[in-house]
Amino acid sequence: MNCDDASVRMAAYCDGELDAVASADVERHAAGCARCGQQRAALLDLGKRIREEVPYHTTPKSLRERLMAPASTAPRVRGPWRWAGLGAAFGAAATALAIFVAGEVLQRNEHDALSRQVVANHVRSSLTGQRVAVVSSDRHTVKPWLSARLDFAPPVKDLAEKGYSLEGARIEALDGHAVAALVYRHRNHTIDVFVRPESGADVPPSVHTFRGFNVARARGAEMAMWIVSDLNVEELTAFAADIAHRE
Amino acid sequence: MRESASNTRFAEVVLPHLDAAYNYARWLTRNAQDAEDVVQEACVRGLRYFGGFRGDNARTWFLAVVRNACFDWLRRNRPAEVTVVDERTLEAFPAPARLVPEQHAIERAEALALSQAVAALPLTFREVVILRELEELSYKEIARIADIPIGTVMSRLARARALLAHSPLLRAVGESAAGGTR
Repeated sequence: MNCDDASVRMAAYCDGELDAVASADVERHAAGCARCGQQRAALLDLGKRIREEVPYHTTPKSLRERLMAPASTAPRVRGPWRWAGLGAAFGAAATALAIFVAGEVLQRNEHDALSRQVVANHVRSSLTGQRVAVVSSDRHTVKPWLSARLDFAPPVKDLAEKGYSLEGARIEALDGHAVAALVYRHRNHTIDVFVRPESGADVPPSVHTFRGFNVARARGAEMAMWIVSDLNVEELTAFAADIAHRE
Repeated sequence: MRESASNTRFAEVVLPHLDAAYNYARWLTRNAQDAEDVVQEACVRGLRYFGGFRGDNARTWFLAVVRNACFDWLRRNRPAEVTVVDERTLEAFPAPARLVPEQHAIERAEALALSQAVAALPLTFREVVILRELEELSYKEIARIADIPIGTVMSRLARARALLAHSPLLRAVGESAAGGTR
């Protein structure tokens, strides 16, 4: 591969859009070519800076309230748009989420049912803005808080070095039982880790996609884990392996 | 009964992607209140068109609805921003300059400068940067949302990145950092 070829493909390479063979070609060329190596470094650096420095605006409470409000009390959209009874749908959906999921569960196997529950929990916590009940990046704060509220002591790992910052934890219900929900953040992705005791051999993580979210399931150190996020499959798999790994 | 079930399913599909929708609208309109109006309108439209949604990618589908609502809003309220920008008009594109870099806070000033540089990008360039870098969508998904060919996604991204790399906003911070003793 020459400089022209590499240069044309460099952005697609940095965006993860090339297949493995083409990626390796670009990498090989960039390793031996100062100019293309520099182009690659500049592109990767710009992407990293944008993700770190440019704010990701999350839904403000005011908008959420507008969408959930019953049609009769909902403020009208400014301007010429007609208001259509949205509040009924959203208000109902937000509260019916759990019921809806539970209803569907009956027709599915257990594996699927739990995935639905963890996704529903994940979505509900982000919608209501109650991601964490204990806010701390210190596992020595989070673990005792959880242990005091559960009949088991979930492992809480510090994965900050790998780019996963601990944000805190909350208690969730899974299959009618209280479980620990650890909340990590990676770039602008929130990762929920649901933990409950489960004996048996360690099971490496397997990932599947449900309603636009990736759900990983693993078992390690006598604990079953469901990990849910909108993070991509590769990174979520790596995260799941790290968090389920027996220390 | 049937309608309410469909509404509930719509909200189920859309609600998880509300943050993505708001962030996208917020960056397109560059204003919090306008973004709220646009997302609310997108939900109204989405509910109306939801029967036509058969796909597997709810995020892409909903973001396309948000984009249409956004562009309609901009056409009505700020038509100048929606005009297609070509290479020549780009040269003359003015960048807002209201930077107050503190000597001891160069890093924060740099972060601010990058956000301002992104905000200063022309609409069609700004949106591909937001969809690619903040939403981490693939070229194919961006192409579907913006209803443009993948080749156009790539050329707009390349142009947007070149504009950012050479943004006078970033240069201003760099110079004040280098010339600190001035």
